[in-house]
Amino acid sequence: MIKTPDLIASLAANATPVRRLRPPVMRAACWLLLAAAVLTLLAVNQGIRPDLAQRLQEPAFATCMAASLLTGVLAAISAFLVSLPDRSRLWLLLPMPALVLWLSNIGYQCLVQWIDVGPNGVSLGEAARCFATLVLTSLPLSLAMLVMLRYAAPLRPTAVTLMGSLAVAAITATALSLFHTFDATVMILMWNLGTAVLFVGLAGMFGRTMFRWVAPRTFDARD
Amino acid sequence: MTEKPHDRVPSLKLVGTDGSGVYGSDRAEPVIRDVDWSILMARAQDGDRSAYHRLLQEIAPYLRSLAARRHRDPTDAEDAVQDILLTIHSIRQTYDPARPFGPWLITIANRRFIDRLRRQGRVRARETPLTTEHETFSEPRANLGESTDRRELEGAIAELPPRQQQAIRLLKLREMSLKEAAVASGMSITSLKVNTHRALKNLRKMLVDRSEP
Repeated sequence: MIKTPDLIASLAANATPVRRLRPPVMRAACWLLLAAAVLTLLAVNQGIRPDLAQRLQEPAFATCMAASLLTGVLAAISAFLVSLPDRSRLWLLLPMPALVLWLSNIGYQCLVQWIDVGPNGVSLGEAARCFATLVLTSLPLSLAMLVMLRYAAPLRPTAVTLMGSLAVAAITATALSLFHTFDATVMILMWNLGTAVLFVGLAGMFGRTMFRWVAPRTFDARD
Repeated sequence: MTEKPHDRVPSLKLVGTDGSGVYGSDRAEPVIRDVDWSILMARAQDGDRSAYHRLLQEIAPYLRSLAARRHRDPTDAEDAVQDILLTIHSIRQTYDPARPFGPWLITIANRRFIDRLRRQGRVRARETPLTTEHETFSEPRANLGESTDRRELEGAIAELPPRQQQAIRLLKLREMSLKEAAVASGMSITSLKVNTHRALKNLRKMLVDRSEP
């Protein structure tokens, strides 16, 4: 075992200047800007769903959209705050009200207006395009989140990955309801809840491993 | 586990730059020199090596006293201190000089302690440490079955002619090389070889004869 004074000496000798992290809210804003850019590009490429203006008049749909977007924004802020050692873990509760609103809204829709299959039926082509949107939105956002949060890896990996993936999931769900028409309630459920569960679950399984790849290394191999 | 980190954290005291009473006799109540350390860390982030060195040297005793509360084994505590120092080094970007240094340090330290205690818990649940009893039972002499064999062999060797006895003792039981055995016994190498060969042949015959009836 290396002696502590020797370790201190070698760490000090290795102390290259580092750039301080920007304030967490600003970093969250940067990430959200990226999210906005991705959504805009997708909107240009795929086109917004034709009946968006009309659907936004419906309070249920508008609340659902707003709540999922708000969940994404708050979860991103919460993830960046919690990734710092000197911030309280209570920030994890920040996106909870929006999340509850989002999920309860979906639940309410299920109860009140269950639609089995829309007038045009469920087409496989639409599902495939939905899946493409899902991957195109979530992949760059997840990667950016992972790299931006890498300093959290030695601290609170589980809490931070949960928040990060919740942010990605909420933004992705918003994107899906922006670009694709879902008539069947099952589809709404699947693309909203399914996305959330998918990302949070994936993060739970692979979050630590992924973090280990991007984690900052000290000069010696520790494990 | 209900965790109340603030209960275990020593009270924060701001001490001026004169550093009075920092390394006083009261080692159980370590003091965070928050302002000093904050300045040192800010300079370390800008690449000031001597400030960084001083900072790490000053926080090490404090971390050691924190570690001593969590870990009984002093080597464990020292390991934990080194672990914390490495973590601080790898995430020193995350410190914001506008905020106090103490909470930042204590969160990192607590994370490392908890990780270490969890790892120890896992190890303790799955591994059994090797005790002297395990060692004793793997020693051939402690095993009864082999010791009777050994006695029988000793008896058989004692019945051999003296030169064969000497050859087999030196070469096979004490595992000397031919040269060493030649020096020790005064016999030539050839004679050692011949005597060993005959001794083995005789022993085989004797032991087979004994085990047959």
